[in-house]
Amino acid sequence: MKTVADSPRANRETSEGSAEEGNLSRKLSILIAVCGGIAGGGITMLIRLGLGLHFWGTGPVLVVAVLTGFFAYLSASLGLRVLLSLDSVRGMLTGLGGAAAGMCATSLLRRASGLPAWDADPVLTIGMLTGVACYLVSLGVLNDWWRWATGAPAREERRRPIRGWRRYFNVDTSHKVIGIQYFVTGLCFLPFGVLLQLIGRTHMIDPHLGILPSAAYESIISDHGILMMFVVVLPVFSGLMNYFVPLLIGARDVAFPRLNAFSFWLTPPAGLLVVLSLMAGGFDTGWTAYPPLSASFENPGMDFILVGVYLAGGSSILTAINILTTVFKMRAPGMSFFRMPVFIWSSIATVGLSLVFTPFIAMAFLMVLSERLLGMGFFNPSMGGQVLLYQFLFWFYSHPAVYIFVLIGLGLISDILPVFSRKPLFGYKGVAIANPAIAIGGTVVFAHHMFAAGMPAWLRVPFMVTTLLVAVPTGVKVFAWTATTWMAKMRLQTPLLFVFSAVILFLVGGLTGVPLGIVPIDLYLHDTYWVVGHFHAMFFGGFLMTVIAAIYYWFPKVSGRMLSERIGKWQWLLMTVGMFLLVVPMLGLGLEGMRRRINDYEFAMHFQALHAATAVGGLMVFAGLVLLGRNIVMSLKRGPVAGDNPWGARTLEWMVSSPPPEHNFDEIPEVLDRPHMHGVAGSVHARVGSKQASQGEQE
Amino acid sequence: MAVSVHESAGARASRLRTGVALFLVSEACLFGSLFWTYYYLRGLTPGWPAHFPSATLPAFNTLVLLAGSGTAWVAARTVRRGSRTRLSAALLATAILGAAFLAVTFWEWGHEVFRPWTDAYGSVFFTLTGFHALHVFGGVVLMLALYARTVRHKISSRNHTTIDVGSLYWHFVDLIWILVFTTVFLIR
Repeated sequence: MKTVADSPRANRETSEGSAEEGNLSRKLSILIAVCGGIAGGGITMLIRLGLGLHFWGTGPVLVVAVLTGFFAYLSASLGLRVLLSLDSVRGMLTGLGGAAAGMCATSLLRRASGLPAWDADPVLTIGMLTGVACYLVSLGVLNDWWRWATGAPAREERRRPIRGWRRYFNVDTSHKVIGIQYFVTGLCFLPFGVLLQLIGRTHMIDPHLGILPSAAYESIISDHGILMMFVVVLPVFSGLMNYFVPLLIGARDVAFPRLNAFSFWLTPPAGLLVVLSLMAGGFDTGWTAYPPLSASFENPGMDFILVGVYLAGGSSILTAINILTTVFKMRAPGMSFFRMPVFIWSSIATVGLSLVFTPFIAMAFLMVLSERLLGMGFFNPSMGGQVLLYQFLFWFYSHPAVYIFVLIGLGLISDILPVFSRKPLFGYKGVAIANPAIAIGGTVVFAHHMFAAGMPAWLRVPFMVTTLLVAVPTGVKVFAWTATTWMAKMRLQTPLLFVFSAVILFLVGGLTGVPLGIVPIDLYLHDTYWVVGHFHAMFFGGFLMTVIAAIYYWFPKVSGRMLSERIGKWQWLLMTVGMFLLVVPMLGLGLEGMRRRINDYEFAMHFQALHAATAVGGLMVFAGLVLLGRNIVMSLKRGPVAGDNPWGARTLEWMVSSPPPEHNFDEIPEVLDRPHMHGVAGSVHARVGSKQASQGEQE
Repeated sequence: MAVSVHESAGARASRLRTGVALFLVSEACLFGSLFWTYYYLRGLTPGWPAHFPSATLPAFNTLVLLAGSGTAWVAARTVRRGSRTRLSAALLATAILGAAFLAVTFWEWGHEVFRPWTDAYGSVFFTLTGFHALHVFGGVVLMLALYARTVRHKISSRNHTTIDVGSLYWHFVDLIWILVFTTVFLIR
């Protein structure tokens, strides 16, 4: 997908390149790619023989062959010089070299100090750390800070700025480039995560065929969870915030552009480590990584997850600092808090949560890692540790994290709905305040994940009460959305359709969550498919559907071209039906007592039809994503030109050209009133000179 | 069309202060999770602490670190008056005091009768003091960087926000140390 989003420009560049540099024809490139792949696979087999392993390992050999083949194809079609001039390629290669060097050094040190040279956990972990360090140094994201610290003169601007697709593969400090980098990185991992779980769902249609052995099934569902949350949802939302927060508040960039670049470039290695975890044997703890299993589990796949999540968490803390400072300090004149779009409210609530709570999961994961590597004893009862301590620390982050994963989506709904309803957002102030209310309320409910875990019984009722209270501000939002559509002359365009599905799925998720908050019901439903169905409805309604609505809504602004409405509506139909088909049977399975994270069930229990329905639903969701990819590629090439404001929306981003100019606003707009006052006579959100944000509207 | 995107130094300084304050909030939460771990284990373990580390050296270390806070404060005051020699001396003194703190801490770690992998107490003791030492190390690097910038005339009485936030960071690390010292060495 990374190349997909930039493909028209990429194609143009390559055709120019081949004219200038006399590059090779496509057939020859493919031939070179095949040779490269065979060479890569062969070298892997030789190395495996040298290490004393059997020469054939399907996973590693195929992966290395595909990667080297892809690299050979790119270097043949683009030219090796062009490829190596990209910061990302150089960084990745240096990172691989650094990882190998780190692993060799660790092995040598171990041998010198009398230990066996190879122990997977420490050697691989130190390899990962040196690899990431070399990658960051080689990328050049640290150069400016090094110059600052030594008092050297600041770097001069590049004489010829990089243009076209190459910008996205280089370190760039523009918030719009970083936004797209984040978003596309997240989208790249999305189909992988879905496919991963489709294998698991296929297995569950008939577990007795034994498509997946139990360990592989557990690795797949665990990796699916971590991948989706930390490598898909976080980067996608960071991307949306990076691109649109400055535009929507009338700023020219985020507060700390270099820090922004640094925090983006932590994301690709994080994703890579989470994927590579499967190559290193996976991990079978579920995404929660509870000790003692996670601390004693033998496969080094666990270490990859711990380090990968650490990088993703660091990135989200830095993004939080950036976005909060931007919103607090860089709003356009007149943009008071109650004139901000709801997306901004939800962004600050989200990043506020990640700023405060990410350190807790960071420490919890670090403690598990230290138990694995150094034999420390935080959670080990035989050393005086406490197992439940991990669960407290973990959920202290991970419950607020579920709000990190949905709040921005709810903000998107609140901003897109009024545009297509042609009415003001009902109860704007209430919806705005609901964001910090959910965020603050969400911090004191975490122990409801542990009702069945043996925590002190007196904690149960207080946490039940707080849990049910959080439903109130969430309910405020749903009521406000419903009231916004009341008696509205709606324009049934694709973004609105996705918003409808999102609201309904979110409602399903919310209502199925309430029973889980009630202690006696939870004791029965805990760890069943009911929980899985509940949070998938939440993720579909709060994340996936809202993000697709945002893609249809904002794609014209970002690319200057419209997406196809026809494909969009088919995609909507496919995904909505697919999601319900996925979620509802899961709820039924849970009520019947099907446990999650188990790869088997008795046929006599009549679970098969429900499992099959879930698998079909998952397949439909995946097909919808394929349609989306096709729609994006086609529209980038020859979609109709969008113009500045195709939806007749009133927020600031629609006052500038599509795509927005390099510094967003030639003249900073002056904000006069709330956003989304559609149909209210005389209300203007903002104006620049004589241009008003209600221009281009057909009321 | 060329767009003028220059902005006042005041706006940038104010953003830097906000950003550093938010960073310190996040750091405080990091230590919060460690204190939580310490007190949770302490509350559920009979006979805690298991090993009674001596408080004499850490008490001396507290004075060293507080002296560093004093010199950092002097630096933040001096920079506004524009005396470059005194400013660089104050920054260097802060860095040296931080390095002395680290040296004493390492010596003390080497002489504890327990190791991180001895038991849960050892684990949380070394993690808590270790994370704090890591932050002192960060402070020393920061002070050296500010020293280098001062010597190279990058810091003046009108451009002193980095000194302000540097000294704020140092005070923060000091405050955390007082909590660590009280938790680990004083409350028995």
